[in-house]
Amino acid sequence: MREPTFLILTALATGPRHGYGIIQEVTVLSDRRVTLLPGTLYTALDRLTAQGLVEPDREEVVDGRLRRYYRLTPGGLAALESETARLRQLATAAETRLRALRPRTT
Amino acid sequence: MSLTRHYRRLLLAYPRAYRRERGEELLGLLLDTTPPGRTRPTVTGAVDLVRAGLRCRLGRPASRTVGVWAVLTALICGLFTAALASRLAWKTSRPQPDRAEAAAIFAEAFPGHRLDDDVATSPALFVYYNNPVTVDSLRGLLLGDGGEYQEGSAGGAAAGREPTSDTLTTAEQRLRAAGWRVYAPTTTDLQTCAAPPCDPQETETVLVARRGDTVFRATFNDPTLYNSYLYFTVQRAAPPLVLPVAALAGLVGGVLAWLVFAWASRRTEGRRGTGLLLGFALFLWWAPALATTTSLVPHHLGEPHPTWHPLWEWLGQPTFSLLFLIGAGCALVLLAIALAPRKDPRPLTVSVG
Repeated sequence: MREPTFLILTALATGPRHGYGIIQEVTVLSDRRVTLLPGTLYTALDRLTAQGLVEPDREEVVDGRLRRYYRLTPGGLAALESETARLRQLATAAETRLRALRPRTT
Repeated sequence: MSLTRHYRRLLLAYPRAYRRERGEELLGLLLDTTPPGRTRPTVTGAVDLVRAGLRCRLGRPASRTVGVWAVLTALICGLFTAALASRLAWKTSRPQPDRAEAAAIFAEAFPGHRLDDDVATSPALFVYYNNPVTVDSLRGLLLGDGGEYQEGSAGGAAAGREPTSDTLTTAEQRLRAAGWRVYAPTTTDLQTCAAPPCDPQETETVLVARRGDTVFRATFNDPTLYNSYLYFTVQRAAPPLVLPVAALAGLVGGVLAWLVFAWASRRTEGRRGTGLLLGFALFLWWAPALATTTSLVPHHLGEPHPTWHPLWEWLGQPTFSLLFLIGAGCALVLLAIALAPRKDPRPLTVSVG
């Protein structure tokens, strides 16, 4: 799973969000390293919808602008959990090896 | 122009049905993400939107290879269109040289040499077994014997024995003096025996020159092995219009093929067998083109070419026209499947919360 996909799923883990909300949340989650552009976001949302990981939730109109909310499907939640576990395992393995490199102080 | 209109114009990159369903939502997001005061989209934002719109046109959002298939299809269709257009542009060429013109060029290049009476000429710019292509010959040309379709020429051979030993040098000097652009002669070892090295070693020397729209080619052979020590041909070079017409037609053909591919891809989404059919068609179109280009490149580099081989020859056409036709048949079947009515496989449903 690519990083933007992981971040989009993570952004939706706490509840449905509209496109602008996802972009803002991804920027925060990535500590401003990743800023999704609208075209890229919708390409990803279309792909995730086709894969059954995300689905439309509801619509609302704010200041005359249509906003459609998206939510994780059970499949999307499972994919996020699986990817999180994989990344955690990798991070733990890397930390273990890095710890071994550090000079002993005692 | 207002920012909204700029964005609406960029959204044209998306297919109409998608714009109808998601256009307002996407426009709202674009306006939300634009800092106050901006009157035009940023270049990065515009490129992203167009790129995403073009990707959306291909349909199959979960596919990671549909873009590659689209490019392969657009490229080969663009090349075929360019080849067809270049053939039409060839109609602006003068007819192939006649007997008198061929004889005059021979006399100009080889004074003191006698031209054999049997000078061959072509009745058309391009010939099939040295005859103009007719409706009757189309069947043979398209169904397996297309390799005989080639550019016509006029030519013949020198008669008798070679009067002097400096024929090649004299020809180069005389042609240059007469305004021809003369290319460096090339000599090739002909591997004519079963197990090289051959004894005697047989070689062939080729002299090529061009003046205006006429290309001259003389081949010097061992007279003990051939009926004549010297053969020559003259034929027309590609007219100036061929290159721009082919380039423009190729571009238009490629873009149209891409759009048709995108439409068919969206319409056939979820239908079994379409990917296999497309792969088969592309194989039948690309394989002859790649194989022929691979063999033509060393030939082109091996001896001077004042005019390139016609584009269709690089694509393996009409030599492999049978494969092309089968591929075209597969493509037509795909288009027929795309035209067939279907239910929308993936409507965007929203539950009202």
